[in-house]
Amino acid sequence: MIRKHISLGLVALLAAMPAMAEIDLSGSWASANHEDSLERGGGPNPDDWAGLPFNESGRAKALSFSQSVISMPERICWFQTQWHIAAGPFSLRMWAVPDPITGKVQAWMIGAWETRAPMIIYMDRRPHPGPNAPHDQTGFTTGVWNGDELIATTTHIKTGYIRRNGAASSDKATITTHFNRHGNILTATLIMEDPVYLTEPYILTRSYNLSTNPVSIGGPPCIQGDEGVESGMVPHYLPGQNPMTEEMTALYGIPVEASMGGAETMYPEFRDKIKDKFKLPAKCKINCGN
Amino acid sequence: MKKKILSLAFATATVLGVQAYAHHSFASTYLEAERMTIEGDVVQFLFRNPHSFLHVEAKDSTGKVVRYSVEWGGAAQLGGQGVQNDTIKPGDHVIVLGAPGRNLAADHRMRMVSVSRPADKKTWGQPFN
Repeated sequence: MIRKHISLGLVALLAAMPAMAEIDLSGSWASANHEDSLERGGGPNPDDWAGLPFNESGRAKALSFSQSVISMPERICWFQTQWHIAAGPFSLRMWAVPDPITGKVQAWMIGAWETRAPMIIYMDRRPHPGPNAPHDQTGFTTGVWNGDELIATTTHIKTGYIRRNGAASSDKATITTHFNRHGNILTATLIMEDPVYLTEPYILTRSYNLSTNPVSIGGPPCIQGDEGVESGMVPHYLPGQNPMTEEMTALYGIPVEASMGGAETMYPEFRDKIKDKFKLPAKCKINCGN
Repeated sequence: MKKKILSLAFATATVLGVQAYAHHSFASTYLEAERMTIEGDVVQFLFRNPHSFLHVEAKDSTGKVVRYSVEWGGAAQLGGQGVQNDTIKPGDHVIVLGAPGRNLAADHRMRMVSVSRPADKKTWGQPFN
């Protein structure tokens, strides 16, 4: 009888503890910004879609994009999707939401940024909503532990950007985020899969340093105002009329076929294919890494 | 109780989410390596997030008076540089140095590099993202 009580007690104790392989991800994580700094800083060059596994629809949508769309009164304060974790300029803050009875982590939270809604990673094995459930920029995210790695799956996001120069993701896209912590360094690996605009998964990694300076839980409020685009106007480029397609070629000597993206531009072998077309510019004029 | 806690967390998150907004890619919006200057009178100073905007009536290259929209840093960034919502007022005569927008003839946009007010010889302007 005593042995039975001890066994039950041990079971209860173990149930209240996290699995041994789980790892604490809570804290303020300052973005290292040592990679993709242009994309995560002031923003990428126009019509630079090298390395994006576009299909024809993805490329056509990107070519129609004008940055001034974001200055439309109704779009000044729109959300960006959770992909902004990978490609936006900000750091992140994570914390756990416990079950008040068992103490188990029911969800991990990633605080909002000035340009992104918060991410709630449900850990209670709830299912994702059906395909016709409402979509928004926040999306719906669930997580599981794979050893000491947290894997989050985000669905139900609205159309957003993959790169901040018109490359778009659709509302059919899913984002899988792998969180790996090594001491005071956190690496997030985000994988975008989109059957509408991409032919292959697109992967970005990003590293953060644990910081004692608190990262904001949410950004300052967005306030609509006149950014120069009249109400009712939808800035865009008609097919064949995007004026910036040759800009990468002029700036860096990279052939247009590279800047227009496509799965093959992701792989090292592509460099061999275009090496005879690459012309080293006499002088780097902008974004030269200095 | 469990549902209440998660609902509270979700509600909090939703409220925080309202604060999200969009950011331009400056390289895709402006000709960043180029510079232009305008001189005119301030019509409006929108001290706000995501970015502040200074609206200035000035002559364009043809001599016609148009309203320029000059994009500047967000309120927090400008606050750190000593700029507040009443630092520049409508009617102030200013000289603005900036990067021209890619569709300058159509939308008269610029990205702020610096703004000076000859009346009191003050100048503001630091890089912003």
